[in-house]
Amino acid sequence: MRERFASGFDPFVLPFLIGFFFVIGYCILGIVRIMFQLSREDRRMFLLSLITPTTALKNIWDIFANCLLHVKLWKRNKVLGFMHSSIAFGWFMLIVLGHIEVMLYCPGRIHLFYYPIFFNYFVAENESTIGGAVLFFLMDFFLLLVLAGIALAIIKRVRSRIFGMRRTTRPSMLDRVGLYSLWAIFPLRLLAESFTAHISGGSFLTIPANWVFRQFLGNDLHMLPTWWAYSLALCVFMLVLPFTRYMHIPAEMMLIPMRNAGLKIRHARKGFARVEVLSCPGCGVCIDACPMSVKKANLKDCTVYLNRQLRRGNEKRIEEISDKCLLCGKCEALCQVGVEGPALRIAQRERRKYGFSQDYSGIDVAPMAAAAKGAKVLYFSGCMTRLTPSVGKAVCSLLQKAGVDYVWADRDEGLCCGRPMLTAGRTEQARQLIRKNEEMILGSGAGTLLLSCPICYKIFTEEYNLPGVRVVNYVTFFNELVEQGMLKLEKGDLFYVYHDPCELGRGCGIYEEPRKLLGRAAGITEAPKNRAESICCGGSLGSLTLDFQHREAMTLNALKNLYESKADAIATACPLCLATFSRYSERPVRDIAEVLDAQSHV
Amino acid sequence: MDKVLIIGGGIAGMEAAGQLLKLGYEPVIAEKEDHLGGHVAGWHKLFPDMMDASALIEQLASKLDGATVYLRTRVAYMNRLKDGYSVMLSNGTGLVCRAVLIASGFRLFDAAKKEEYGYGVYDHVITNSDLEAWFNGVEDFRVPENPRHIAFVHCVGSRDLKAGNPQCSKVCCMTAIKQAIEMKEKFPDAEIWCFYMDLRLFGKKYEDFYINAQRDHGIHFVRGRVSEVGEDIDGRVVLKAEDTLAGTQVKLKADLLVLMAGMLCNEDTATIASMVRAAVDSDGFMRSRDNIYRINESNRPGIFFAGACTGTKTVPETVAEARAAALDIHNYLSGND
Repeated sequence: MRERFASGFDPFVLPFLIGFFFVIGYCILGIVRIMFQLSREDRRMFLLSLITPTTALKNIWDIFANCLLHVKLWKRNKVLGFMHSSIAFGWFMLIVLGHIEVMLYCPGRIHLFYYPIFFNYFVAENESTIGGAVLFFLMDFFLLLVLAGIALAIIKRVRSRIFGMRRTTRPSMLDRVGLYSLWAIFPLRLLAESFTAHISGGSFLTIPANWVFRQFLGNDLHMLPTWWAYSLALCVFMLVLPFTRYMHIPAEMMLIPMRNAGLKIRHARKGFARVEVLSCPGCGVCIDACPMSVKKANLKDCTVYLNRQLRRGNEKRIEEISDKCLLCGKCEALCQVGVEGPALRIAQRERRKYGFSQDYSGIDVAPMAAAAKGAKVLYFSGCMTRLTPSVGKAVCSLLQKAGVDYVWADRDEGLCCGRPMLTAGRTEQARQLIRKNEEMILGSGAGTLLLSCPICYKIFTEEYNLPGVRVVNYVTFFNELVEQGMLKLEKGDLFYVYHDPCELGRGCGIYEEPRKLLGRAAGITEAPKNRAESICCGGSLGSLTLDFQHREAMTLNALKNLYESKADAIATACPLCLATFSRYSERPVRDIAEVLDAQSHV
Repeated sequence: MDKVLIIGGGIAGMEAAGQLLKLGYEPVIAEKEDHLGGHVAGWHKLFPDMMDASALIEQLASKLDGATVYLRTRVAYMNRLKDGYSVMLSNGTGLVCRAVLIASGFRLFDAAKKEEYGYGVYDHVITNSDLEAWFNGVEDFRVPENPRHIAFVHCVGSRDLKAGNPQCSKVCCMTAIKQAIEMKEKFPDAEIWCFYMDLRLFGKKYEDFYINAQRDHGIHFVRGRVSEVGEDIDGRVVLKAEDTLAGTQVKLKADLLVLMAGMLCNEDTATIASMVRAAVDSDGFMRSRDNIYRINESNRPGIFFAGACTGTKTVPETVAEARAAALDIHNYLSGND
């Protein structure tokens, strides 16, 4: 081993150093800013979590598994998983091995940031030693891995369909600069190391390449310019990184510990939300996921574009995108990074100032509370069930057949659960409604609150404070009644496909129970896109601006997915899905309660 | 003698056939149901003269001597020839004719699709056509013995984007008033309420009906849509609505709720149109050459329209259009164009 230059310096490292210090400086400043944007208790919670051993270990593992190995992406799409992990993990290993080399052979240079990167230029090592051979082999191996990833990336850019993606994002100008410089880095590194291989040593990739080049080049004049080019490519990539989607690389390392600490979005632009926005890699998985993307006009309204506009600060588009969304949550379910698209939008809606705000605090709940008194089970149907009377009727019929002591709380008069107000960003109005309903429910003395609408169920489990009251969705409740032998079901001949409502499935994580329940009364088939990937019916209350023509296209698209199951009829567990589907469906649509009611006997 | 195929044996098809006979043609009616007269055959009385619907059908039928009528028959296929159309009917009859009149009419909106009104769910909710059938003597357990309160809801599935049908059905405002008066005459003690968005009373004597209904029959008109319908323990229908003129909320218990189901394009319209590549309009109805001067003409030579296949129409409009279509066909066939 010998160092080729006593000074250990060459001017070509300067571009790299400029880019490197720029990125590091930018990230440190960014971290400081975000830390100050957090509320006092959030900050405390976050810092505490960093020194709690279990969370700290989880952080390290999550960063390793998600940022480097892309485990989640592998599960979803093997080719994309390989592409991302080969680039990320390969590059990471190149950096680690570079540092090992420096530490082994010239520990005195470790304080020079560029030494591990340009090791082969500065140090002439002989691969005949075991250590050299192994290290050089590993360096070439990981370089090959990265190059394979880059090759896939280039193919993907040209033909995304090969990778199972119908649509990908249109990169912005700076994204393209970042992309092309990223593509350039590794081929240039291969060239640079190949040109130097007869001096500094190499392995299975660089030595043959060196031999080939020497056959027709015959001199070493290309060596230095190639190292310059490699350094410049690194410089360009690092200089544009903060302003491109590649910012997700450092941002995700911040997002994971923050999420593990239990932080929530409190402001659409600041703190945790900012980290989420920066963590968006712009992969475009959410474009295909978004139910609105059946209409070309809505293609640019999915989460990846919201994140882009939030970075740019384009207020008009941010508002448009935030208001249009159905809040079905599919983008969040499929997001590899875990960007909470719906929560970001709700936080954005909360920022709006309204000229007029409803005041519900004056509503007298005494008559409603009086009507709700006197039974163990309080059935709260909610507005949507009242608009689809067949559901409420079936639920009551089942309760009567099972001999449950119940009372229909809002049969005559009732208040909204508050979820539509909450999703519209009118938190104060939602709070008022929640307080009123809490008063009514606690005043009734019932021990169980039964809900047949998943929209209500979500807010009742998440936002209500009802000590001593069990909040239960009707699918859970009816399953229990059947298991206790209080409700007798007979299996019918019809085959149903179960549609997972957004609020019950992705919203509350209830996927198995409705299938179990439906399976007791009928045959079940599955649609190609189901469970977390179920397609929103298009009727969601989440959207503030979407009109019926656009919604119709979504409903028809969701139905097409359900028809593919070849079932006789469609079953769902949400009155809003029921109402939306039955307007357009060619096959009968039933609520689970209606199916059960038809198949039950006293 | 020239044969003319008439698709649909409702009042439009019947009137056109009668006129074509007089002009010396051989009309062939293909009707998918087992009787002539279409929707009107199921109706009781027609506004504004309160003429018996059956009397109109009888008059129209009396002029059909010599016409070929195939019941329970659909058009299996229809091909364009150089000068005319070759048609195969579902009963196996084949014919070649130079002109085809499409008089396929409309279908009634399925009121069950407006779940909030509880049609098919609650015991005492019926539609306008159910009520006409009951007037005609068809037994209906949903109509109570002696109703004290009766409510009519206008615009069920009409002018309703959510229900996928933005256009006005034209006849329901007047039908509701007519039926309300008829019910009041049957049950003088009943209180009758009509919930409407707008009252579109454009025809001759329609406004008189409205004034009569209020002045002589004491029928209440509430401007506002019904938001939801429930059922109380006695099985009575509970309506919640907003009275937008008074600015208050209305809650009403009724013994009978009548839904004014609107008119939609017939499901078969698109199939028939595609056979001869006739254009279908954005509302799903057939597209006329224009909507002012050539409503009876399609964009294809020899294909003519009459009645509600091109849009919602009243009975007199349909009959007048059928007559006009017969003349158009005559001019086309005799080369007078």
